Amino acid sequence: MDSAKTKHTAKFLLNWAAVITLVLCFLVFSLIKGSLFMSGINMVNILLAMSITTVFGIAATVTMAPDGFDMSACTLASCSAYVFVSSYLWFGFNLALSIIVTIIVTIIVYQLTMFLILVCKIPDMLATCALMFVHQGLGQWYIGGGAVSTGMKTSWGADPVRIQLSESFSAIGRAPYIIFIMLGCVLVAWIILDFTKHGRFLYAMGGNKQAAKLSGIDVKKYRYIAGMITAVFIAIGGIMVSSRGSSAQVMCCDNYLMQSLAAVFVGRSVGGAEKPNALGTLVGAMLVSTLENGLTICAVPYYVLPAVKGAVLALALIAAYAGTKDQ
Amino acid sequence: MEKITLSTKGVSMEYPGVKALKNVDFEISTGEIHAIVGANGAGKSTLMNVFAGSNPGYTGQVYLNGEPIEVRTPNFAKKHGIQIVYQEVDTALVPSLSVAENIMLNDLVMNMKGSFMNWGSVRKSAAKALDRLNIKNINVRTLVQNLTLAQKQMVLIARAIQADCNFLILDEPTAPLSDTETEELFRVVKSLRETENIAIMFISHRLHEVLQICDSYTVMRNGEIVHNAPVTPETTTKEIVEKMLGRSFEENFPKEKVEIGEKFFEVRNLSGAYGKVNNVSFYVKKGEIVGIAGLVGAGKSELCKTIFGSYKKTGGSILLNGKELKIGNPAQAVKNRLALVPEERRKEGVLVQETVAFNLSAACLDKFCLMSFVQKGKVNENARRFVDDLGIVTPSIRQHVRNLSGGNQQKVAVGKWLAADCDVYIFDEPTKGVDVGAKQDIFHLINNIAKAGNGVIYASCENSELLSITDRIYVMFGGEIMAELVTADTNEDEIMNYSVGTRA
Repeated sequence: MDSAKTKHTAKFLLNWAAVITLVLCFLVFSLIKGSLFMSGINMVNILLAMSITTVFGIAATVTMAPDGFDMSACTLASCSAYVFVSSYLWFGFNLALSIIVTIIVTIIVYQLTMFLILVCKIPDMLATCALMFVHQGLGQWYIGGGAVSTGMKTSWGADPVRIQLSESFSAIGRAPYIIFIMLGCVLVAWIILDFTKHGRFLYAMGGNKQAAKLSGIDVKKYRYIAGMITAVFIAIGGIMVSSRGSSAQVMCCDNYLMQSLAAVFVGRSVGGAEKPNALGTLVGAMLVSTLENGLTICAVPYYVLPAVKGAVLALALIAAYAGTKDQ
Repeated sequence: MEKITLSTKGVSMEYPGVKALKNVDFEISTGEIHAIVGANGAGKSTLMNVFAGSNPGYTGQVYLNGEPIEVRTPNFAKKHGIQIVYQEVDTALVPSLSVAENIMLNDLVMNMKGSFMNWGSVRKSAAKALDRLNIKNINVRTLVQNLTLAQKQMVLIARAIQADCNFLILDEPTAPLSDTETEELFRVVKSLRETENIAIMFISHRLHEVLQICDSYTVMRNGEIVHNAPVTPETTTKEIVEKMLGRSFEENFPKEKVEIGEKFFEVRNLSGAYGKVNNVSFYVKKGEIVGIAGLVGAGKSELCKTIFGSYKKTGGSILLNGKELKIGNPAQAVKNRLALVPEERRKEGVLVQETVAFNLSAACLDKFCLMSFVQKGKVNENARRFVDDLGIVTPSIRQHVRNLSGGNQQKVAVGKWLAADCDVYIFDEPTKGVDVGAKQDIFHLINNIAKAGNGVIYASCENSELLSITDRIYVMFGGEIMAELVTADTNEDEIMNYSVGTRA
């Protein structure tokens, strides 16, 4: 029975590969840099840095649970950011109203994604690939090609209603609030996906669409619901980015796409879940951010950073998929 | 228990160009196990799909307890106690979810109140369903992807009976099962008949199983019911086969005499396939058909795939004409003139989305190319030749293979390698899911391959087939070869004896 035991151990190691890598990162960085890395302030830094990636990762998790995919999530988030800051500065809405308007506009724009996927039946990957460009163009047309920030005129040349961002506007992008928002998003997604029947239906669709359909699940409806939840998380992500940057820069969110997808893929196998899941995504995002933070502290030049980060991510993924048998 | 009957009157079903069911009158009551038999394309599955609500376009009338009902959707059928377990269990299961969720899936969709999962009650109900089947070895928390095929089937049966179930349709349930697993399934089916108010409709190609377990049977041919009778001790498989074919049928295929040459292909101490093939040695002579016998899970498919390079080899060597072959992947195997006709033909043997013509040239497209450009004319000429030679029934060589019947798909899978002109042909369960008529054609084909001086390796768990077509048989168990037998001097009992692990 020795081989069964080693098999069991190997399986355990693979299931927790992402977590083990994360712990190793912490150990190694602490050994090298001591309290410079392992301090309360730096831990908060890591949480801060990971919060936005996590929220976009959660959006991707919800889309990928029913085997969907959204390449245009982060270009849409840039649009959300434009809408958010312009509502606040240009139109002078109060903060709560700006947030609500942003979420509603994002959901409305997301109807286009759903239309292409569900009505025109274009495969997710292709439809959202096309939409990336649509979002970029539409968004920049709205803001007139320049950033939305304090002291700038509106895109049609009028004076903005507000000239300053308030304290509470900026607070969204600072610790501890941004961390609370991240944890809240993870919690909500976790509850939806793991504890409600709707979440289980999404996973059923992701595992075997035909079987789900034959069991009476309205697969189109649930794909739509997943899309709408995703849209809300995308809007939240866009809001976080603009608060953190105190403005909505052109294409400010676009670069988060690959990081957030990496977080989901790393998190996929955490705990043997074998499907995109909220807690796994949190772990994945933390791994990405810890690496970035640790390497910066170790004075790795910023332009080499992506290579090191990519290599460690690849290692985590190798471990995660090592158990997969050849087809 | 009050008997419930399900019946049809004048039910017909027409697909474009084909009358799949013609005026079928059928009746079944709870408390019996009823077999539906017939050759491929006889209409068995079409009729069952009418009951299951997946053929909404039928004409005629279906009655439940004499009341006319309209079974036009799967949900309607399920609500009225008609449940179906398809042969392809994986199409109905969600591998990444737990056993409990899979068993309760329909119930979750249709009956669950509120939004939140009550994990406790879901697991309890699922465990209760498994308990009714008296199954102890499945934990409701396991992910379905970690189950064996037989266990997956049990999960589906549990799903069927946990809902309102009076009529349970099992579509070729035993085809992929080993003998012990089949016994287990029969135990479950029999206990369902005794303890619950259920009728079981059992589709099977294995007639001895029908005789063993069923109370009555219906024979279908060309969309019609041609015979309907109780199973008595006097019923024989021979008479059922005659009814299925509409003519008498010589069950054993007569082996043709073939000149057998010298030893030219040899496998020495082969191990691999993640430990499922251990230290296997055997050889093939020119013109010889060598059988690989063994139960499901004995390692036959794994052996075939290891030789062909699609599973990893960890030790041993493969020799052709005394020269050791370097086979690290299937491409190298093909280069060394080996051919494999795999078991899962739809998945691995043919390209279902492509035309007959393309499939027949797929293994040797080089031959039909001029400087990397495919010469359509040559491809078509090749296709026409093999369609004629093999008797492939297809409206045109431009037909997509997915539209052909199972037997014809198998012929295409074989024909593709004939065109490639190989030396050693490996067949893995070539007659699986093929009706008796097409089986004859395939045997004939294999005989011709041997006659041309090639070697044939024929892996199958149908021992009667091995006895009728092979020259020698190697029996496998647990990834090892237990015995080498000369076909002329052996019998089914002896093969079975070695198949369960007795050493020679």
